[in-house]
Amino acid sequence: MAPLQTRSMAESDTLLTLESLSLAQGNRMVLENIDGHFEAGTITALVGANGAGKSTLVQGIMGELRPISGRVRCEVPNARRAWLPQQLALDLTFPMSVEELVMSGCWPTHGSFKRYGPPEYRRGQAVMQRLGLQAFEHRPLGELSGGQRQRALLGRTLMQEAQLLLLDEPFANVDAATVEVLIDVLRTMAAEGAAIIIVLHDHDQMTRLADRTLRLERGHGTWSTPSRAGDASSPAEMLT
Amino acid sequence: MIDWLFSPLLDFGFMRRALVAGLALSLVAPPLGVFLTLRGMSLVGDAMAHAVLPGVAVGFLLAGFSLPAMSFGGLLAGLLVAGLAGSVSRLTGHREDSAIASFYLISLAAGVMLISMRGSSVDLTHVLFGSILAVNGTALWLIVSVSSLTLIVLAAIFRILVVECLDPLFLRGQGIRGSAVHGLFLGLMVLNLTAGFQTLGTLMAVGLMMLPATAARFWSKRLEGLMGLAIAIGMVSSVGGLLLSYHAGLPSGPCIILFAGVVYLLSALFGRYHSVFARWRRRVQPMLPPDAHG
Repeated sequence: MAPLQTRSMAESDTLLTLESLSLAQGNRMVLENIDGHFEAGTITALVGANGAGKSTLVQGIMGELRPISGRVRCEVPNARRAWLPQQLALDLTFPMSVEELVMSGCWPTHGSFKRYGPPEYRRGQAVMQRLGLQAFEHRPLGELSGGQRQRALLGRTLMQEAQLLLLDEPFANVDAATVEVLIDVLRTMAAEGAAIIIVLHDHDQMTRLADRTLRLERGHGTWSTPSRAGDASSPAEMLT
Repeated sequence: MIDWLFSPLLDFGFMRRALVAGLALSLVAPPLGVFLTLRGMSLVGDAMAHAVLPGVAVGFLLAGFSLPAMSFGGLLAGLLVAGLAGSVSRLTGHREDSAIASFYLISLAAGVMLISMRGSSVDLTHVLFGSILAVNGTALWLIVSVSSLTLIVLAAIFRILVVECLDPLFLRGQGIRGSAVHGLFLGLMVLNLTAGFQTLGTLMAVGLMMLPATAARFWSKRLEGLMGLAIAIGMVSSVGGLLLSYHAGLPSGPCIILFAGVVYLLSALFGRYHSVFARWRRRVQPMLPPDAHG
C-alpha cells in the first residue's frame, strides 16, 4: 500500500470524514450532527449502549442509509473498503471453504471474470498462514468455531488490502487466542496505513486497541482518547 | 432390451427434440435451484411457476397454441408478479415471500379462469402439465436459446451471487445493490420456467429446478459439487422421465419430475450427509470401540 503524501497533515491522511451527519431508521431519528475525521493509521472504537446507533452509523458510513442531513466523505475507493459483519449476519449453511472465503476478498478488484492466478493464491496462502488458518483451509465455514470463522473473515479483508475497515463486534464469541491474533493483525493493518473503525463493548479491548473512541449517546457523538500509558500522539483537533 | 429401452429417443423426431430440450433445461435449471435453496427461497420458485400461468393463458387466448406467444406472456406475467411483490414488500414492510405468495395465488386463479373461458380442459392440462409432442423446432430453438443465455448470465453473476448469499453487506460495501442482483436472478428463474413449461408444464417446470438441487444437498457440501450433481440428476431425470413417459404412455412432465422425486427420496434416505442413513450411522458410532472407527 503506497503511503499517502503528506500535504497538510489533517487533509491528506483523512480517509473518511463525517460532516454534521444525521441518520434515521424509518422515521425515527437515531443520530444527529455527528462530526469526525478518520485518519490513515488510526483505530477508532465506536462505543455506546445497545440502541445508541452504532450499527446505524456503520450503515451510514457504508452508504446503506442515506443521510437525513450532512454527509459522509470517503476518499477510499469501494474496492478498498471492507466490512466485517457480526457473525450472526452470515449464512453459515452456505457451502464455502475457508480458502474460498479468503479468496473472495479478490472479488472487488477482479470482478466477475478475471481469473484468480497463482500470485493471488500465494497471497491467500500467506494471509491464511498469518491468521493461523492453514490447517482449516478446506474446511466448510459451518464447521468452524467462532474464532476460526472470525479469522477467515479478517482474512478476506486482508486479501482485499482494505484501507478502510469497519468491524462490528469482532471479538464476540471468539476465543482468547483469536482475540490476540486479531488485535495483532488489526494493529499491523493500521500501521500500514488503514483507517479502522471497530464497534466494541469490552473496555479492556478498547484501551488495548483503540487510538480514539467515538461514544454515541442519545443521538450525539463524543470523541475521546482512551487513557493509555505513553500515549500522547492524538492530535487535538480530533477531540470535540 | 437396452435397445428397446433407449431406441425411442433416437427413432422419433419428437423424442429427439424433447431429449435435447430436457438436457438443455437440465443444464441451467438445477444450478438456479441450488442458489434458490441456498438463499432459503425454495418455495419462491414454486410460487413463480404459478405466477407464470396467466401470461401463458393470455398468450394462448391471443395466438392459440404458439410457444413464443405463450412464453412471452408467461415471462411478462412472471416478471410482473416478481416486480409487484418486490414493490409491495418495500412499500408495506411485509416480507417479500408473503407478498409473492399473495400475488401468485391471484395470478394462478386469473390464469385458470382465462384458460377455461376459451379453451377446453385438455388445453388446461396441457399448459399445466406439459406435453412433449408439442416441442417443435421453434420451441426447441427457444428453449436452447434461453438455456444458453441463462448460462452466460449465470456465469457473469456467479461470484456476485455467491458473495451475496453468504454476506450481502460485503457486496453493499462494494457499491452493488443486492436488490439488483436479486431482481436479475428472479428474472433468470422466470425465463427458465417459461422455457420449461412446454415439456414440463408451468406447474412442473419448477420441479426440474428444485428436486435435483435439494437431492444434491445430501451428497455434497461444496458449491461446485452441488451444481455438478444437480445438473447430472436433472439430466438423468430428463432422460429417464422421457423414456418412462414413452413406454408407459404417460404425460412427460410428471414422469420427469417423479423420476427426480425418486432420486430425491433415495438421497434423503441414503445420501452421504444429513440423510436418514447418515444420521443413523452417526448415532451408533460412539457405541463402537475406538479402534473400529475407520
